[in-house]
Amino acid sequence: MKKTRTFLISADRLRARAGLALLSFALALNPFATPVSAQGVSDEDVKPVPLLQGSVGFITNFTGGQPDLHPIAAPVVLLPIGQRWLFETRATFENDLVQVPGRSGFHGGPVQKEVEYAQIDFIANSYMTVTVGRFLTPFGIFNERLYPAWIRNLQSDPLILPIGIGPSNASTGTMIRGGFKAHPQLNINYTAYFSALSTRSPVDSDRFAGLRAGIFVPSERLEIGGSFQHLLQQERSNLFGFHTIWQPTPLPLDIRGEYAHSRRGSGYWVEPAYKLSQLPFLRNKMRRTQLVARYQQFFAGELPNDALPSVNTKEFEFGVNYYFMDGLKASSNYGRQFSAAGNLNVWTMALTYRFVVPLGPTGSAQ
Amino acid sequence: MRRNWMLFCCFGVTACLVRTAIAQEHKESEKASESAATAGLSATNSIPSHDRASPQAFRSSASEDRAARIEGEKRFRTNCGRCHQPPHKFPPRVMATAIRHMRVRAMLTDEDMRLILKYMTQ
Ligand code: HEC
Repeated sequence: MKKTRTFLISADRLRARAGLALLSFALALNPFATPVSAQGVSDEDVKPVPLLQGSVGFITNFTGGQPDLHPIAAPVVLLPIGQRWLFETRATFENDLVQVPGRSGFHGGPVQKEVEYAQIDFIANSYMTVTVGRFLTPFGIFNERLYPAWIRNLQSDPLILPIGIGPSNASTGTMIRGGFKAHPQLNINYTAYFSALSTRSPVDSDRFAGLRAGIFVPSERLEIGGSFQHLLQQERSNLFGFHTIWQPTPLPLDIRGEYAHSRRGSGYWVEPAYKLSQLPFLRNKMRRTQLVARYQQFFAGELPNDALPSVNTKEFEFGVNYYFMDGLKASSNYGRQFSAAGNLNVWTMALTYRFVVPLGPTGSAQ
Repeated sequence: MRRNWMLFCCFGVTACLVRTAIAQEHKESEKASESAATAGLSATNSIPSHDRASPQAFRSSASEDRAARIEGEKRFRTNCGRCHQPPHKFPPRVMATAIRHMRVRAMLTDEDMRLILKYMTQ
């Protein structure tokens, strides 16, 4: 999550207030989002309703002893159209509040606003969906699958996250993707995309084309995949990466990992997360508690990149998450970074919540 | 000097969130116990009347339904906790949108999507 240290001006204050007012409005609607009761529907063709999904988080970092408060709100609008279309968009509003020498309290810059993606998906058939617009670049797994604050197990970004995803984490162009059963024991998923150059900040993107494919073995809950990208600008180089997600069936354990390589740097992260549901005491509390660790290494590349560390870096993090209920999570983690630029401790505490608000009637099947 | 209003707003919003989430959890557990009670009642009442109507048809469609639900639950457990915590059930039309979204995002197969939607809306 990005950091700025400029100061709040009044127009931004107003806009930020308007943002918070909108958020409060969404929360006021929240009773609509109560889970479904036992009444079911027999028909598969349930008519989907437009949704406002979103997450809010309040993240506190202590990096090298310096506290920094990071509120973030990320609303997502989902608009299903007919049987085969979906319009989806996500925006983020975030800020960094830091202490300034000689002044009391925390001070922040203007609220950073960004449309992370705005895309139209057309489900062409069982094998293919076509997407057009601005979409999260599907290089590796973190950007597309794990980025939202309510999903990630540790609040800090992996060091290799900027590799292959473009300057604003998104691509502007078109993508085809799909998932299908190749064998009773094997699903295949794939995506191929092209992004055009856009220099309009904050919706800038690079010109590249790429592929990602994965094999998922449902009985083992194991996915292994690879990403490839060819940059069609600057050094016109190739980037590649591998990812894996494994949830061994007998254990409440998730293991995720990624490797990425580019001329601007390469590295990997491995993240096991274990829910304590097997402990024989305080069962209700323990099944909500998750221990997470992540080890990562970054190797500086031959070319520079502002978003990546400039020197080889290693980091170990350890965290505890507590899931109060669906969507609400408290987390705390400690990390130590080792690099030639100096070693530091990073503490993070966070409260995150995901809400789902229907923008229409929800109950009936048709 | 200038106290940051935003900090307070954020604490306020977070407190509201915790409250709504707790209220939601309460409602859900009430509903779960209510529905368990009504399911118990309707099970004892409905079997004789269904038997009178068409015992064969009822039995086969009910067992198909049950098999689909069990398979749906299996697919849910396999697929829906891979990226995030597996979500609670939402009302049918909300679930239909979320599953369409996940079909695109998570590249679920057609069959997975149908079975999971069935399970999640029962
Ligand atoms: C490949 C990773 C992945 C898998 C597998 C996955 N999800 Fe998601 N899910 C996401 C991401 C990422 C988001 C957040 C989308 C965003 O904020 O842009 C999300 C959001 C959601 C939401 C919030 C509403 C919405 O549509 O955004 C629900 C509900 C949900 N998922 C349910 C499910 C269910 C049910 C399954 C199993 C069929 C599932 N997910 C499987 C990645 C995944």
